[in-house]
Amino acid sequence: MSIRTFLYSLTQGINNFFKNRLMTIASVTTITASLFVVSMFYCIVVNLNFILEEFEQNIGIAIFFEEDVVENEILTLKNQLEARDEVFEINYISEEDAWKTFKEEYFKGREDLLKGFDNDNPLKGSASLQVLFSDISQQKVLVGLLQEEEIVRFVRESQEVTDIVQNVNSLVTYTSVVLIVILSIISLFIISNTIRLAIAIRKREIRIMRYIGAKSSMVRGPFLVEGIIIGLVGATIPVIVIYFFYDNVIQKISTEFFLLRDFLVFLPVEIIMAQLLPISLIAGVVLGYLGSRVTVGRYLKV
Amino acid sequence: MIRLENVTKLYPGSVKALDDVSFSIDKGEFVFIVGGSGSGKTTIIKAIMREIDITSGQLYVEGVDITRIRRSKVHKLRRNLGIVFQDFRLLNNRTVYQNVAFALKITETPRRTIRKTVPMLLSMVGLNKKANMKPSELSGGEQQRIALARALANNPPILIADEPTGNLDPQRSWEMMKLLQEINMKGTTVLVVTHDKEIVDAMKKRVIALRNGRVVKDMKRGDYVHEH
Repeated sequence: MSIRTFLYSLTQGINNFFKNRLMTIASVTTITASLFVVSMFYCIVVNLNFILEEFEQNIGIAIFFEEDVVENEILTLKNQLEARDEVFEINYISEEDAWKTFKEEYFKGREDLLKGFDNDNPLKGSASLQVLFSDISQQKVLVGLLQEEEIVRFVRESQEVTDIVQNVNSLVTYTSVVLIVILSIISLFIISNTIRLAIAIRKREIRIMRYIGAKSSMVRGPFLVEGIIIGLVGATIPVIVIYFFYDNVIQKISTEFFLLRDFLVFLPVEIIMAQLLPISLIAGVVLGYLGSRVTVGRYLKV
Repeated sequence: MIRLENVTKLYPGSVKALDDVSFSIDKGEFVFIVGGSGSGKTTIIKAIMREIDITSGQLYVEGVDITRIRRSKVHKLRRNLGIVFQDFRLLNNRTVYQNVAFALKITETPRRTIRKTVPMLLSMVGLNKKANMKPSELSGGEQQRIALARALANNPPILIADEPTGNLDPQRSWEMMKLLQEINMKGTTVLVVTHDKEIVDAMKKRVIALRNGRVVKDMKRGDYVHEH
């Protein structure tokens, strides 16, 4: 495409965008609506995943040891575990720590009852390693390995909770992928139809251009530009709306579901935008381009 | 300039629109193609401008076998052909000036040249005073002259007019013919498709007569061939 054709396409495309107001509004509205639904869904999915991830990281296992095991052996195991990818965090809780926490939790305000235990630790032999996972699906494997270790007395795990979280997680992921795909296809269909209509209105002009010797790129150019602008505008509006209302909605949810406050951690709007903005803009450009490209092609065959 | 060799065009349903048609038109000629409806006149124009593909035979325009050019290169052929369509094919939402300028714009003519050329073309067809009007505000004859100005915009070596007098009263028809003759005198090859007997008889130009898709007569200075 020569520079002149490009400039012609650009000015003509922009002109058409403003001149065919009704068609433009219809197309932009359609794209905005479709991408708004997709974007909203995207926000929900991303946040749900984030919440589940956070939740996952709070489910861990506790490893308890045989009585004759010395602290050094436990710390060696701790170092070995720390090197593993699926381990997110590992804490050593010595017998003393365990007793201290126990005292604080159960004898707060009744310290007099503890007099008899002065130098005695009833929790002797209860030193443990608390393991949190970055990848919870690996829990089972690790527990299996640990149970074979000689120094390990038993491993307390929370497999049921883990299973539930994992199931919810994959359910959300699969459903969201399917829904986003379906919505995208529907959007593409609606958009290409809208643009098809916009071009059909001008098929006479396209034909005349061809009859009097216009290159294909010259005919196609303005429509592609127009399609891309429509796509871009249609993609920008939902992003702007989400940007300004995201915080409000989160605030609302947090107050409505007060009891779940500890579980409901949301991603900040900046992080959402960092992904949503490029995805939306690219989607808008691609949708606009494809929609007009396919449709103009039909009328070029004269 | 234009050469048809054994050109046959079958439309779906085996309708023979052109049946083994051969003739050639030299540079600078003024030729009438005559015949009743269904004789194949319009099909010839469509074939020459590659709006349709012929079924068999060869068709040369300016030495190029146009049956072999790719669709993406068709615009090059059409820039050599100025065509005045029977239905004018004007853009009704643009002014007279814009309609003519449009032809130059799409051939990527510099703006300065467009600003010089369009008024010249419009004064040649006598429409310079109506440059800012829309085609729909003008008469059929005037619309046709817009189409003529547009066809000539890119200075094509060949001008084709499809029934240029079809919608005109006798006086306007003559004016149009005079205009075409002037253009021909300047060296442009002119091909006029018509069924206007009076005009053909009076002009004394070469006449190629078609009937049922076949060439029935080709006369150097002929008359309209009557159908029997």
